[in-house]
Amino acid sequence: MQNWPSQIGYFMLNLTIVGLYGMLLSGIVARTLAKVQGRIGIPLYQPFLDLAKNLGKRTAVSHGVMFYLGPVFRLAGGIGTLAFVPVLYGSEIFGNFSMAGDLLLAMYFMFFGQLGMALGAGESGHPFSAIGIARGLGQMTAYEVPFALAIIAIVVQYDTLSITEIVAAQQGGIGNWTVFTNPLAVIAAMIAFLGMTAYPPFDVVMAPNEIPIGPPTEYHSSYLAMMTMNQAVFAGAKLILFMALFFGGATNLVELVIKTWAIYMVAVVVGAAFPRFRVDQSIRFFLRYPTLIGIAAIAYTQAVLLP
Amino acid sequence: MVEALSNPLNLVVVALGVGFLLPLIDRSSPALARSLFNLALVYQAALPILWLFWLANGAPTQEIQTAGISPPFSINLRFGMEEAFFVAGVNLAALLGGWYLTDLLRGRAAAMSVFLILTMGVDGMIMTRDLFNLFIFIEITAIATFGLLSLERNAAALTAGFKYIIATSLASSFLLLGVMLLYYLTGTLNIDDMQAQLVLVHGPLGLVAMTLLVAGMIVELKPYPANGWGLDVYENAPPGVAAMVSVGVSAGALFALYKILPLVLPFLSALAAVAGVTFLASNFIGLKQKKVRRLLGYSSIGQMSLAAAALVLLTQLDRGAAIPLVVGGLFLNHLFAKAGLFWLAGALKQSDTQDWRGLRANPRLLALFGVLLAALVGLPPFPGFWAKWELVMQLSAGGLNLWVAVILLGSLLEAVYLFRWFGQAMQASKHEPTLSGRAHQLPVMVAVLGLFAAGHFAAASFGVDALRVLAPLYIGIALMLLHSVPARVQGLVSLVIVGTYSYQVLPAQDGINALFGAMLLGGGLLMLVAGLYRGDQRLGHYPLMTMLLLSFGGLLQAGTSLEFFVAWEFLTISSYLLLCRGRDAAPHTLSYLIFSLASAFLVLAGFGLAYAETGSIALAALERVEGNAALVLSLLGLGFLVKAGAFGLHVWLPGAYAEADDDFSAMLAAVFGKAAVFGLFIAIMSLGVKGGGTDIVMYVLGWIGLLTAFFGALMAVFQEDLKKTLAYSSMGQVGYMVTALATGTHLGWVAAGYLSVNHLLFKGLLFLVAAGIVLRVGQREMYRMGGLISNMPVSFFGMMIGIIALSGVPPLTGFGGKWLMLNALLEKGWYWQAGFAFFASALAFLYLFRMIHTVFLGQRKLAHKDLREAPLALIVPQLVLVAVILAFSVQPTWLVNPVAAIMADYLPQTLEVHGSLIKSGLGYWDGFMVINVVGAVFMVSLLILLLLSRFMRVQRVKQFNIVFAAERPERPETTHYAYDFYSFYERALGFLVLPRATAFWNGVSEWSHSLGSGLRVFYTGNGQTYALYILLYVALLYFAVGDSV
Amino acid sequence: MTELPLSTITLSTGFGLMLIGMWGMLVRKNIIRMIVGFSLIDTGIHMIMVSLGYIRGGTAPIIDGSVDRATALTRVVDPIPSALVLTAIVIGLGITAVMLAYAVQIHTHKETLSIEDCSDSKW
Repeated sequence: MQNWPSQIGYFMLNLTIVGLYGMLLSGIVARTLAKVQGRIGIPLYQPFLDLAKNLGKRTAVSHGVMFYLGPVFRLAGGIGTLAFVPVLYGSEIFGNFSMAGDLLLAMYFMFFGQLGMALGAGESGHPFSAIGIARGLGQMTAYEVPFALAIIAIVVQYDTLSITEIVAAQQGGIGNWTVFTNPLAVIAAMIAFLGMTAYPPFDVVMAPNEIPIGPPTEYHSSYLAMMTMNQAVFAGAKLILFMALFFGGATNLVELVIKTWAIYMVAVVVGAAFPRFRVDQSIRFFLRYPTLIGIAAIAYTQAVLLP
Repeated sequence: MVEALSNPLNLVVVALGVGFLLPLIDRSSPALARSLFNLALVYQAALPILWLFWLANGAPTQEIQTAGISPPFSINLRFGMEEAFFVAGVNLAALLGGWYLTDLLRGRAAAMSVFLILTMGVDGMIMTRDLFNLFIFIEITAIATFGLLSLERNAAALTAGFKYIIATSLASSFLLLGVMLLYYLTGTLNIDDMQAQLVLVHGPLGLVAMTLLVAGMIVELKPYPANGWGLDVYENAPPGVAAMVSVGVSAGALFALYKILPLVLPFLSALAAVAGVTFLASNFIGLKQKKVRRLLGYSSIGQMSLAAAALVLLTQLDRGAAIPLVVGGLFLNHLFAKAGLFWLAGALKQSDTQDWRGLRANPRLLALFGVLLAALVGLPPFPGFWAKWELVMQLSAGGLNLWVAVILLGSLLEAVYLFRWFGQAMQASKHEPTLSGRAHQLPVMVAVLGLFAAGHFAAASFGVDALRVLAPLYIGIALMLLHSVPARVQGLVSLVIVGTYSYQVLPAQDGINALFGAMLLGGGLLMLVAGLYRGDQRLGHYPLMTMLLLSFGGLLQAGTSLEFFVAWEFLTISSYLLLCRGRDAAPHTLSYLIFSLASAFLVLAGFGLAYAETGSIALAALERVEGNAALVLSLLGLGFLVKAGAFGLHVWLPGAYAEADDDFSAMLAAVFGKAAVFGLFIAIMSLGVKGGGTDIVMYVLGWIGLLTAFFGALMAVFQEDLKKTLAYSSMGQVGYMVTALATGTHLGWVAAGYLSVNHLLFKGLLFLVAAGIVLRVGQREMYRMGGLISNMPVSFFGMMIGIIALSGVPPLTGFGGKWLMLNALLEKGWYWQAGFAFFASALAFLYLFRMIHTVFLGQRKLAHKDLREAPLALIVPQLVLVAVILAFSVQPTWLVNPVAAIMADYLPQTLEVHGSLIKSGLGYWDGFMVINVVGAVFMVSLLILLLLSRFMRVQRVKQFNIVFAAERPERPETTHYAYDFYSFYERALGFLVLPRATAFWNGVSEWSHSLGSGLRVFYTGNGQTYALYILLYVALLYFAVGDSV
Repeated sequence: MTELPLSTITLSTGFGLMLIGMWGMLVRKNIIRMIVGFSLIDTGIHMIMVSLGYIRGGTAPIIDGSVDRATALTRVVDPIPSALVLTAIVIGLGITAVMLAYAVQIHTHKETLSIEDCSDSKW
């Protein structure tokens, strides 16, 4: 049924595109933030330079096997998530391996990289790593709640767990996008998205001035480079997922770039405007209004959209 | 000659004759007197036993006439099956009691004759059919008792005896007056004749006559609160005598009550109420009692009133056919168990239950003690168990549900104080309770043997295949004989037995039984192997494990709810005793047992209700319950939920799972917990999808499961103790199974089955890893460990696989469970629940990371530098579990297909499977493809790392290259970041997990104890007050019944 | 109805004795007096027993010239209560004796005869 070599080839293409786009995006964000703060900022290609620099460095220490595997898990997590999400609607080339599983698979696979990374960083033995991971996990449990509620709401709305079918249901005009048909769910999901990106006010995980960059504290050289790569791919994958679920998906690459950029800007703009939450504050934050909105979204879906 | 010797009247004649001869013979030859006494006791015991045999083989009931005139003109006695049974019991107790009293009776011929006459008095009470004669025998018994009570000459015993005399003589005065009034009304004293003339007993005088008769009898049975005098005697009399009063005299009174019941029909309800109140009150007050013999007194009174209540209620319900089994069973149970306990109490000479500490140093005595207690509480295989079962069935069938509740509550309370006592005996202590004489132990042993024999007989008379049903126990006991063989050899023997058994039983199972059979027996065998890592002699470990595993088989093979219940109770017993083996388990054993028994009683009540509706105890008949379906489902569900550790009912769980022996923890959490899930499966499959009221029950169950999952996970997050973390985690995981089951859909049940298998695999794995860690490190607080990955890499690997499988992250098995469950919830329309389940499952990441990080990663403690990997016996089962997890991860359909097929027997199949692709109504999942993609992606990432990295004279980072964050190694909890790891989470959500459930159950306990102390204010110790109570009792009885007549 | 029948007198005396005895048992603190109270109850019951069998104007239950078989049932006094009373008296005596023996022993061990001092065990 499937043509494995071409399937793999297509996926490599996607991976490259999304990876490059993700790197570029982080440059854009850095520059945007600099503008907000009245600085000139870095050139857009700076992330590529950093990546090359990190790859060029040599490593002379070992913390053990798990430490090495941490970035491997992390990158595998990012690439895998992308693999289970269809990039463009209606395109065989950009369909990836989304036939392996539905939305639940993508949601749960997001944890894969985090878990592996947590293990690797743990073996470094640095307390800051562990503290950062603890905070990250704590915050994650909280923002998963509104996110899950939003997902449930749209699953109820479209009566399917298949990402492709959800996108299909949103075709035929801007009015069919979930953001307009089920705004409550999208609001809940977007607030959760702020937590996922770990920009302020939810950046306590890395918390540069407290626990210098948290989990990756001990990572350097090629490890760090792999994590930068993952950041690009994983961010891309998440953005594509959000776009597909809430903003009508994309049928071509231009649409994809515009939509994902716009989604990402939400986090960046909010991040530029807010100070940092303490981690217990952010946990309680997510479990209050966003969760209520998520619950309301399900109720709205059941009561208004379904009958 | 034989005929003359075998005449039942000899029971009276011989006792009287020998009784009067003894003091005379004693003058010339004390030894001869002693022999004669013994001979008489043996004769007294042997005769009714022989008669039992003859009567069972068709000999007619013996009607014994006196004075050569037929009744009603002369006194007559009857000796049929019932009489022979009771007389045999009483005289057997007398024989053993006489043996036990050897020392006290030595050189006291008068006391010997009084003892014989006491026995004879009770025999007479049982045999006579004449009311006045009954009075005479009661008085003979009473006077003999008074005499024996004075054997102990101290102030407390004497005053107790005097109070006893006042109370009983007052009672017999009433009895005498009642008898005479009845004679006046009917013109006869013969019970059968009077029954025929009962129409003549009417009007005010008739009521007075009946009241007095009932009052006289009832006081003999020591009703609450007019029974303080009885308790004083139990407390202060020589234990041998107290045993005779508790067993013999009470039995006589009970039988006398049985005889007069037909004469006092208007009083049945009042009698039942009195007995019920007494039963409940005694057991409440027993909670407060610390003195051994008075405690036994409360238990005695409770047991006898239970028997009386059973007698009256069954008569009222017109279910006389059940009386022999129920009342006879309760009587025999009480006879052996209570007498045995009194004797044991006397032999140990410790007046306070606390002073029984240290009894564990003497395993044989401890075993005897345990058996006696188990019998009293009504655990199988003892006769009390079968009696209570039948009683509950009959009462349920009669619609007396309140009575069922009373009986079960009272039994539970009794279990609390009795097993608290046992727990005290299990504690280590420097001083051991002192023991006196072999003569004191042997009768106890005989009583214990009697209990087993009676239990087996009772089981057989139930039509149960006793040998098969009780086999787990018998095999366990037989294995105890190997206790001096090296532990690992014992382990191998157990493995062979259980393995052979599984090999024979498993292939014969189908459907849900096959699934759970594979889990329970397969998982159990694996844990048995793991137990081999300990080479020390763990007395009783392997016998109990064998019993436990064979009882799993009992659950599977059970065709009736009775067989299921027996196996269930066996599981309770064996797991309780295994738990007692834990080094620091003492504070948790009692709550474990109590909650287990409560669970069992709820299940029993459920079975009773089902029986009431269908009239069958076959498990298959559960499906036919319609009207009571919701109630039966609630009771069964609640019972199994207690055992599963559902939210609010979980307070027993963390302590038990954490403090058990390490290999047994794995057994408890991974395998044993599945027995409760199995029970839930059976209940829900039979009753859950009937619609109507059961829908509400299922909805509530769904939420209970979710709350359990959520709170289990949240509490696990805050634990410092490795095994407690795993314990709470187990609680949470079972919650998902409950919720999935509660959906009542095919997909939900598939999810529940899948989750069960998966939980067994990863939780067994994690607990075994924990066992290895605890073995090597010698501690359970995680923050005292760290960096063990380099010492124990295989264990690390095991734990990593375990936590990934638990977390639900693809590609391992956990994801399948989450996918099935969420699909089931969404399809069912339980959207909020699905969101909640998401939250709960995300929480698992917190404790999972903490566990693996704090133990295996991070900084290694200096003291742990040279630790070795866990022993092979632990590693091999871990690797087996890892292999199974990986196999099911690679091809999930290997697990999903059979489970889905099994559930399709009950509900229509909803899962579509094409090759490796599984489709539900909403989504799809191709596990084989997922693991391939993930594997490929992982290899690509690894290649990237290897190709792009530039290694240069790589050095291993030394421990001190990394900051310690100002840790103080000697007191890590002050500064260690791994201590209170999720303090911020506690700040955010900690208010949710304040120990409210514990506080609630503590409150229940405190409240029960306060009620107990409130109920006992009547016992002022003043003999006159006690006499007043008796008088008031009569008045109350008169007015209560007078109004209704 | 000019004179009370014998049975009524014994019956009411018997009940009276019983009540007095009960009062004694419940109110008097001295053990010996309580025992006396019991004796009174016992005696009262015996009197009641005898009077229950009495038939006014009846004769001794001996079938001879004065009573013929046909009318015996209505004419003779029921002999059984009288017979039973004998047994009851013996038993009452026995119990009283045991009670007194206990009283002696209690006095030896406690140097008191007050029932209020005899609450050694309670609860």
